Amino acid sequence: MNSFIYHLGILLVFPPLLLGVIGKTKAFFAGRWGPPLLQGYYDIFKLGRKQPVYSVTTNWIFRMGPMISTAAILAAGIVLPISGLKAPVQFGGDMILFVYLLALSRFFMVLAALDTGSSFEGMGASREATFACLSEITIFLNLAILALLSKSLSLSGIFLGGLSSSWGQVGPVLILVVVSFFLVLLCENSRIPVDDPETHLELTMIHEVMVLDHSAAELALIVYGQALKLFLFGCLIVSMIFSFKIRNIAAEAAFFTSGFFGLGIAIGIVESAMARLRLNRVLYVLYAAFIFSIFAFIVILVRGHA
Amino acid sequence: MNVWLDAALVLIILLALFITVSNRLGTMIHLFGLQSCLLGCVPFFIYFKQMEFYIAFVAGAAIVLRGLAMPSFLYWAIRHVSSRSESNPTIGFGTTLLLSGAAIVGSFLLATRLVFPVRIASDMVVPCSFSLIIIGFLLLTGRVKAIAQVVGYLVLENGVFLFAMLLLKKMPLLVEMGILLDLFIAALVLGIVVNNINDEFDHTDTLELTTLKD
Amino acid sequence: MTLILYCLLILAVSIPLMLALARFKKISAHVYLGSLVVACALGLFSASGVLSRGIAPVDFRLAGTIPLGEFYIGMDALSAFFLLLFFILSLAAGIYGYGYMRDYKGGRNLPAHFSLCHLLMIVIILVVVAKNAVLFLAAWELMTLASYFLITFYNEHERVRKAGYVFLIATHTGTFCLLGMFLLMGVHAGSMDFDRMAMAPFPLGMAAGIFVLAFLGFGVKAGFIPLHVWLPHAHPEAPTHVSALLSGVVIKIGIYGLIRIMSIVKDFPLWCGIVLLATGIVSGVAGVLYALGQHEIKKLLAYHSIENIGIITLGLGIGMIGRYYHQDTVSYIGYAAALLHTFNHAVFKGLLFLSAGTVIRSTHTGEMDHMGGLLKWLPWTGHLFLIGSLSICGLPLFNGFISEWLVFRSLLEGVFHLDMCGIIFSTAAIVALGLIGGLAALCFAKAFGTVFLGHNRSEHEHHHNMEGDFVLVAPVAMLAALCLWVGLFPQEMVSYAFQGVKSMEGAAVPVVFRQAILGPLLSVTKVLFAGIAIFLFFALLRRIFLGACRVTWTETWGCGHAYTSSKMQYTASSFARPVLKIFRSVVLFRIKSEIPKRYFPAAGQLNSGVKDISEYFVFRPVFYAVKKVSRGLKWIQGGRTQSYILYILFLLVVLLIWKLR
Repeated sequence: MNSFIYHLGILLVFPPLLLGVIGKTKAFFAGRWGPPLLQGYYDIFKLGRKQPVYSVTTNWIFRMGPMISTAAILAAGIVLPISGLKAPVQFGGDMILFVYLLALSRFFMVLAALDTGSSFEGMGASREATFACLSEITIFLNLAILALLSKSLSLSGIFLGGLSSSWGQVGPVLILVVVSFFLVLLCENSRIPVDDPETHLELTMIHEVMVLDHSAAELALIVYGQALKLFLFGCLIVSMIFSFKIRNIAAEAAFFTSGFFGLGIAIGIVESAMARLRLNRVLYVLYAAFIFSIFAFIVILVRGHA
Repeated sequence: MNVWLDAALVLIILLALFITVSNRLGTMIHLFGLQSCLLGCVPFFIYFKQMEFYIAFVAGAAIVLRGLAMPSFLYWAIRHVSSRSESNPTIGFGTTLLLSGAAIVGSFLLATRLVFPVRIASDMVVPCSFSLIIIGFLLLTGRVKAIAQVVGYLVLENGVFLFAMLLLKKMPLLVEMGILLDLFIAALVLGIVVNNINDEFDHTDTLELTTLKD
Repeated sequence: MTLILYCLLILAVSIPLMLALARFKKISAHVYLGSLVVACALGLFSASGVLSRGIAPVDFRLAGTIPLGEFYIGMDALSAFFLLLFFILSLAAGIYGYGYMRDYKGGRNLPAHFSLCHLLMIVIILVVVAKNAVLFLAAWELMTLASYFLITFYNEHERVRKAGYVFLIATHTGTFCLLGMFLLMGVHAGSMDFDRMAMAPFPLGMAAGIFVLAFLGFGVKAGFIPLHVWLPHAHPEAPTHVSALLSGVVIKIGIYGLIRIMSIVKDFPLWCGIVLLATGIVSGVAGVLYALGQHEIKKLLAYHSIENIGIITLGLGIGMIGRYYHQDTVSYIGYAAALLHTFNHAVFKGLLFLSAGTVIRSTHTGEMDHMGGLLKWLPWTGHLFLIGSLSICGLPLFNGFISEWLVFRSLLEGVFHLDMCGIIFSTAAIVALGLIGGLAALCFAKAFGTVFLGHNRSEHEHHHNMEGDFVLVAPVAMLAALCLWVGLFPQEMVSYAFQGVKSMEGAAVPVVFRQAILGPLLSVTKVLFAGIAIFLFFALLRRIFLGACRVTWTETWGCGHAYTSSKMQYTASSFARPVLKIFRSVVLFRIKSEIPKRYFPAAGQLNSGVKDISEYFVFRPVFYAVKKVSRGLKWIQGGRTQSYILYILFLLVVLLIWKLR
């Protein structure tokens, strides 16, 4: 029970910080001072206190969608280990539950968008679901590769020690997997080369246009859920890189935190250096992510590290 | 050392993949230059333990000629070209990318079936060279712009060079140099051709050249 | 066993009773309902008894009743498993059908329709419990005929007759293969009894031949791509409760047949498993892609049946591959996953078809692009459809997730335990299943979103009380409850599935092994309940935050458009367009548009649709060739009696010569 509470506590508290790191990095590259590191929290609280506006077209799905969606992401976090912290629930095959809970969250966001009957939100929902199909297969392939290497079917088994010997043997190939995860992270969390999290309209009609009609507490939950999802994907990447065991909780936490700051800075750099891609070129990012992981898979298979 | 070799090979393939999706000619040339420089470093990784002067010389020549001279020359060729991006290739960018993925898988599976007379430093060298050759072919056949085709040809050549590196000990220096020179001349001729096509027709779409036949 | 016999007896007696009372429509319908409920209750009791105790009852045989054998039926756990899903779905679809047909105003004979439903039930039960190949084939053939007459209920429409015709031809081609297969097996084993066949060792070459025939014969019924041509035509044209039965049970009988053959022959060459796995991948992915291209709700559901058959086949295929490599972990989980998904699909597909039936009944159209906003008018149906959608997408909390999880698990075990070839195929299957899941979610977001959410797209005004009464809602709600029950407490059904595997493999599934599956499933439940708790917490939080606020209700924001109309909503076609465009070369997605190019507004139109590749490029040419050949042979049947007499004479001479030789 205690581990449940620690885990959920971390998941509840830390995610918006990552947004702050990204914001600071982007501001640095733009030569600005930028918003404070805790801006994510301020935003969420600000939104939480606002008055809601609902469309008369909508049903309960519009109002409950964000809750269900964020709850599903949080539930997905239960099976994912954070740094050296074991996941409170772990079992063979929890990686599938992880991906499917994220799919559940997306499904309800899409339904909530369709519930408004607005053409903009329909458009966003359609695109979000389309790109998600392609990023999901990459996640599955990557997880299959990691399972093959670590001989473990659970996320905790993979990330807490299962991979440590593989870095020595097939390190360069694992980098491919990391890059592939990173591209998926950019797509799934609507970061810049794919979508622009800063604006809601016209040019970036994927995720952000899908939540156009939400307001107040629901929007706060959506913002938090988005940060949480970014945090979970970040966890995947960071714990893949720091997959060795130290057995010292302080050192592990330090590594993990620095890994997270590094990730935030990396995302910030990508966002500052690149422009948003045209919609038809977003597909190539997803194809590339998939091909990277196929490449990794085939090398590992041929090498016989299976 | 093996890890570094693997890393270099993975990067080389990744650069080839990036070339297939980039639609700007300038970016393609840049990426190609980077790829060739990396390729020039590969002999150092393969023959790390038994380094000899001529290997270093071949590698250095490859870096200078392929990695620096050729890209800057191609840059010179596209200086006056009217449109510097590939807009409608005959094989789409996404399709090329997916086909390249299939090519990578295929060449790795193929390479497991082959038996080589020489001991190979890493089992990734051969499949990577195969993949480079196929990706080069795809670019060569799928692109419309002459310069893009030249880059495809050069990527293909890079694949051949990678394969030849396995035989570096058995192959005389002179032959190697001859190949490099050949390549250079070929690219030179193509570059001049492109320039002239541009001067005559105001574009470099090779598809339009088919209208010249009787 | 006696319970099943009683059940058959009740159904058989009620058929003449209904026909005799045909004049009193009400009474005959009540006879139908009563006999249905009693028969299903008996059947459910008997089947679940076999599954929970794990002991098969004594077989029943009547010597010398049918040629080449005897009337020999028995119920092992495998039959019981299929009977369980059959009775559950028949009960729901039957009650619904009773309600659905009440306000039928056409001139057809309803008691005859209901007796055909009963006949279908009888023969399906016989197919599943038959232990003799001849009995199996006879019941199989009757099943085809009964389904044909049920499909062509609305036969005043041309396309219904055509659909029935395609169904009849396709399934008979399949039956032809089955006949050959059973003859091969029977001659080799020296008996037509399944038990005797199972004892005979089959050499690998013969096993391969049997596999090919079974694959074709049962595959047509099950709807493997590219043998599925009849399915998308027949399902939408049948009355709704019949579509539910067809999709939920009849195509599953094809799967049952395949599994039965696998339990008899046992050892197949490796490529058979790979063929099954590849068929699963192709059927799954192509099925869902075609479904995405459909804008007619029942046709969409019909293509989803193909997709789910694909998932079931993935389980069977990896099981077969695992068996070849003697990896019990892989094969047991694979088979159990296939069985469980068969059950789950029957439940949620029945649920979806029946609620789609209510939608069609109240809007008088099946076109999704003419609907919208129905959740307000059909609250029960809408929410039940939502549950069905969540289940079919394999999303957690509902039963689809459990079986898809099992399929994934067996594939991952395949990645661990097989050699390079096996790893490549199981990884391909993992990726394919991931893609199927994502696309299915997209497809049902589209279906639920356009039908039940947003504004009404048609000129038709909706009114309250469209939903119908208890008889139409209760059976659907029962199926939905079942979806939730299996999704949250999967232990019972998973152990039933393992019972089925046990009778399939002929050996008990080790206890350790069962724990290795049931343990994780318990953890899944734990996470899901945690998720529900978190949701409740969020809902509470929202209540607290919103408690003091004034809530404003207004129109949906139109992004500055002054005039918004319901026609500006995203439609089903536009929702599916991006993904179909990506896969346009796989599904032949075509858009025909006549968009006005001038400055002033003019009439324009846009059409988009997908074409079934196997129908257009495999079967059309074949049928065309067959037609051409048969037209060439037409002179034989010229209609002149004299020439027929000549044929008889000719035949006699030939026979004489043959005998005298």
